Amino acid sequence: MFRLAIEKSLNHLINTNSIQTERLDDSLIGISFHDIDLKLFFMFANSRVFVIENNAQDSVDVDITLNKKAFLSLFNGASFEELIENDEIEINGSIKTAQQLADLMALSSIDIEELVSQYTGDIIAHQLGKTLNVIKGKSIQDTGEIFENFKNELTTLLVAPSRSKIFKNKAS
Amino acid sequence: MEKTTHFGFQQVDVDQKQGLVKGVFDSVASKYDLMNDVMSLGTHRLWKNYTIASSNVSKGDKVLDIAGGTGDLAIKFRKKVGDSGKVILSDINGSMLEEGRKNLINHGVIDVDFIQANAESLPFEDNTFDCVSIAFGLRNVTHKNIALKQMHRVLKKGGSLLVLEFSKVENEMLEKIYDAYSFNLIPKLGQFFANDEDSYQYLAESIRKHPDQETLKAMALDAGFGFCEYHNLSGGIVALHKAIKT
Ligand SMILES: C[S@@+](CC[C@H](N)C(=O)[O-])C[C@H]1O[C@@H](n2cnc3c(N)ncnc32)[C@H](O)[C@@H]1O
Repeated sequence: MFRLAIEKSLNHLINTNSIQTERLDDSLIGISFHDIDLKLFFMFANSRVFVIENNAQDSVDVDITLNKKAFLSLFNGASFEELIENDEIEINGSIKTAQQLADLMALSSIDIEELVSQYTGDIIAHQLGKTLNVIKGKSIQDTGEIFENFKNELTTLLVAPSRSKIFKNKAS
Repeated sequence: MEKTTHFGFQQVDVDQKQGLVKGVFDSVASKYDLMNDVMSLGTHRLWKNYTIASSNVSKGDKVLDIAGGTGDLAIKFRKKVGDSGKVILSDINGSMLEEGRKNLINHGVIDVDFIQANAESLPFEDNTFDCVSIAFGLRNVTHKNIALKQMHRVLKKGGSLLVLEFSKVENEMLEKIYDAYSFNLIPKLGQFFANDEDSYQYLAESIRKHPDQETLKAMALDAGFGFCEYHNLSGGIVALHKAIKT
């Protein structure tokens, strides 16, 4: 869900702002964290980005290693140079490509802190809480939307928990 | 090439399989949607929602849904691609396509093209689609490797293939319950709701003969995809493979 949320958010941003990502097409960027057991790959192709959890097949163009805090700060527009200067980020490969990804992240309006807390916290409780909040805040006329929301949340609950990495640390 | 292949748990001539599969789907077509809901207790809708959510399809995209049957995915893709996009629903079976046509009209969806085609010889030019999907269809295809190569051929560079299919259950206990359910109850439900025990027996058996997660991933890479990953849904009862043409 974490991976999917980032993928959706970045692509939404690319589409709604007509951001040209062609110059990044064919590049594969790996991001790993010192302090959470998570590695993400950002694959740019066909004018969109795919966020992938496992990549045994291709070698990456850039490998970025950082901690959770630095990752979050990228989404909040932190300067890349500053992170490098403070030794908060390690980059192997093309810094220019890494910078382009960082620029994209900085533009994204994703609530990344919430997502990361889900990664370490209880996804089911979180999702249920969110669903209840949605229902609580709605008037009786909005039942159609409530059910639509509920259906989507239920999908996530039933389907996503079995997704390997988050719950079982099992690679696919 | 091999001379025999499986049709459920039976071994049949390779040339026979397609006709036998056609028989099954001719027979189940009119009750297909009802049975899908009954057999999966409605969960197939959630698996399909997840597939759409994972598709990375956006406005203006061209999408091909292979073995699309009654069109559940095509309906959802249609909404995603917007007016500038295009969705094609294809299936080898005319009766299933007919049900698909009715279902789409019932959903108020008219701008989807229907094409009767075998997944093993897709009548489309190379590099045409941004996304190709096949849900619960691949296990019925006789030469899966040929079909996967065809899917790779018709995708644009950077396009993605989504294969939603029954797979290998991860947990032994769940596997036992699932086996009991699919071999004892599904054919009986088929008899009760559709008066057709044999077809549903085939559907249950064909699931067990389908390649497991890792095998299918290897087959996708072998077919030319540069990348493939899968996500198990409902404990591996179903897996969604996503492969990208690099
Ligand atoms: C179980 S149904 C799935 C229908 C739909 N995709 C869904 O998820 O509800 C399998 C479909 O595969 C189609 N099929 C079987 N063999 C095929 C082949 N070789 N090429 C294309 N479609 C095929 C059948 O006609 C049938 O409609």
